[in-house]
Amino acid sequence: MKILAVEDDAPTLALLVSSLEEAGHVVEQAGDGQTGLRLARETAHDVAVVDRMLPGLDGLELVRQLRALGVQTPVLFLTTMGGISDRVDGLEAGGDDYLVKPFALAELLARINALARRPPLGRVETIIRVANVELDLVTRRVTRAGHVVDLQPREFSLLEFLMRNVGQLVTRRQLLESVWDFHFDPRTNIVETHMSRLRAKLNSDGGPDPIETVRGSGYILHADIS
Amino acid sequence: MRTYRDLLRSAGLRFALLYTLAFMVSVGAIGWLTVLAVTDALERQAQRGVDNEARALVDEFNAGGRQDLEAALTGRFANPLTHTRYVLIGADGHVLLGDAALLPYTRDPAGPAASRSDVPLTAARKLGDGSIVLVADDLTDVRDVEAVVTRAFLTALAAAGLLGLGTALLLSSALLHRLDAITRTAEAVVAGDLTQRIARTGSQDEFDRLAATLNRMLDRIGGLMVNLRQVSTDIAHDLRTPLSRLRQGLEATSHRATTAGDYRVAVEHAVEETDRILDIFSALLRIAQIEATTLRKSFRPVSLSELFHTVADAYAAPASDSGRTLVARIVEDAWVQADHDLLAQLFVNLVENALQHTPPGSTVGLELDVRGGSVLAAVRDDGLGVPASEREKVLRRFYRLERSRSGPGNGLGLSLAAAVAELHGGRLTLSDAQPGLRVSVTFPVALPIGEGVAG
Repeated sequence: MKILAVEDDAPTLALLVSSLEEAGHVVEQAGDGQTGLRLARETAHDVAVVDRMLPGLDGLELVRQLRALGVQTPVLFLTTMGGISDRVDGLEAGGDDYLVKPFALAELLARINALARRPPLGRVETIIRVANVELDLVTRRVTRAGHVVDLQPREFSLLEFLMRNVGQLVTRRQLLESVWDFHFDPRTNIVETHMSRLRAKLNSDGGPDPIETVRGSGYILHADIS
Repeated sequence: MRTYRDLLRSAGLRFALLYTLAFMVSVGAIGWLTVLAVTDALERQAQRGVDNEARALVDEFNAGGRQDLEAALTGRFANPLTHTRYVLIGADGHVLLGDAALLPYTRDPAGPAASRSDVPLTAARKLGDGSIVLVADDLTDVRDVEAVVTRAFLTALAAAGLLGLGTALLLSSALLHRLDAITRTAEAVVAGDLTQRIARTGSQDEFDRLAATLNRMLDRIGGLMVNLRQVSTDIAHDLRTPLSRLRQGLEATSHRATTAGDYRVAVEHAVEETDRILDIFSALLRIAQIEATTLRKSFRPVSLSELFHTVADAYAAPASDSGRTLVARIVEDAWVQADHDLLAQLFVNLVENALQHTPPGSTVGLELDVRGGSVLAAVRDDGLGVPASEREKVLRRFYRLERSRSGPGNGLGLSLAAAVAELHGGRLTLSDAQPGLRVSVTFPVALPIGEGVAG
């Protein structure tokens, strides 16, 4: 993937770039907002990672101008502080996701993947299939190998998010945000609890578990298990 | 310390002096008018006197002729007490009897006098034989009275001036004295002694009331300072512990670890410990940020009912896994003007607290109700509760009950919840659920606007 990284703190930028490159991405970097805006306009990127606080042209303004110019590159904001209205401000400026520093590298990569995978506007899916699991968004029915799996609404949402990001690491935080709309870290392992119930129901017919737990990070739904 | 210069510069003195000056001007004006009125009245009386006297002399002449008149005049000259003067002038214009100096006044009442005050009052009458009799009063008595009255008023004026000056000095000195007490206390506070308070006189006058208000202000500032100091100490203490642990772990690793596996485990531990420290930091920052926020531009109508369902739904499974029961009684369509993320965190914190601080087998209840203009939200449990004396304290940063000190958590959850409640115009209160604890938050109800109902 081609990623644009805009960050004014040089050590953070260097770490960001090397991590992204190590994960197999091509990275263009900018140390300030003006450069970032120029790069974003000149070439197309799959995802832009933009720090909120930048000298000169700040992150919010950069994205606002980018959107005004019609550039639709998905933007992931980085911020040092999860302020009260920071998230809302970021989304209203045209950002697509939001990550509070410090963050785990796996978290950043998972979110970049999720952003890049967003279906283009206008394409509406009604049924998602992964291996022998089928999820109907209209009837909200799930089957595995043709057998109906009876899921609670949140378990359904969990599975839907995993299926939309099949083969990719999905972090606990991503699930908390998309399934429960919780934009903070609760102490309780809500995700684990619901995930174990989902798995128990999904695998009740004795089939192999398609969900892999990545310790300390999250989960991966594999397509090659049936 | 107070000096004469302070006294001279004091506003009290200036006001008092101004007042004295105004008073003296009015006394002076009254005196001047009085002297004028008295003099006028006396002069009129004297005029009547000389007129009467002239008429009496004419009567004397008409009754007994020239001889009787002269006898009467001679008799009057002999009276040493009178200031009245007389002259009798023959038809040929020669002075027959009396004061020749009065001669010019028979032709012109103003006579040869240089000024009005020197003109004597006169009354002239022509007699049957062509002679003229003139009676004059040189106004000595009137001038005497005028002088006395004037002197009296000047004395009064001087006395008033002195009295005013004295009062002004006394008044401003008294004012300065009262203000000095306030200034001294303020100086002491500036110098760092926040325990100083302004002495009250108990008179309930404006100074006393000002002192009371300032004392209350100092109490408030003092409370905030103590709180701040406490928080700084707590932060230092609560961060030292995990930092020391981190350091010890790293030190031990550098001595003992030999394999890559050892190092990996050590690094994982270090990352976990660092995360805990960062969690404390971000919680503190968040509380500080929430407490400092007055701007509520991010507030939107939020369905508290929906939020409660989400929280109840999220925690039902973890609760039953840990042997507790989560029940919910949620009224529909309870809307508040709020920041969704903060409210979610508030109630998640409360539910997690309840689940964590109750023994297995307990029931935790989520309650949402709308009564009057308020949304009543509460989380209650049937656990051990919090003693009444501790209820205020557990809202403080880092404060933890003795029995839960060893458990997980950083003692910031309730502080954050309280700060969030306050930001939303609500108040978080702890009460006895008999048995157990009930934490309730009351919000002003917000009517959803536009599509808020459908969304």
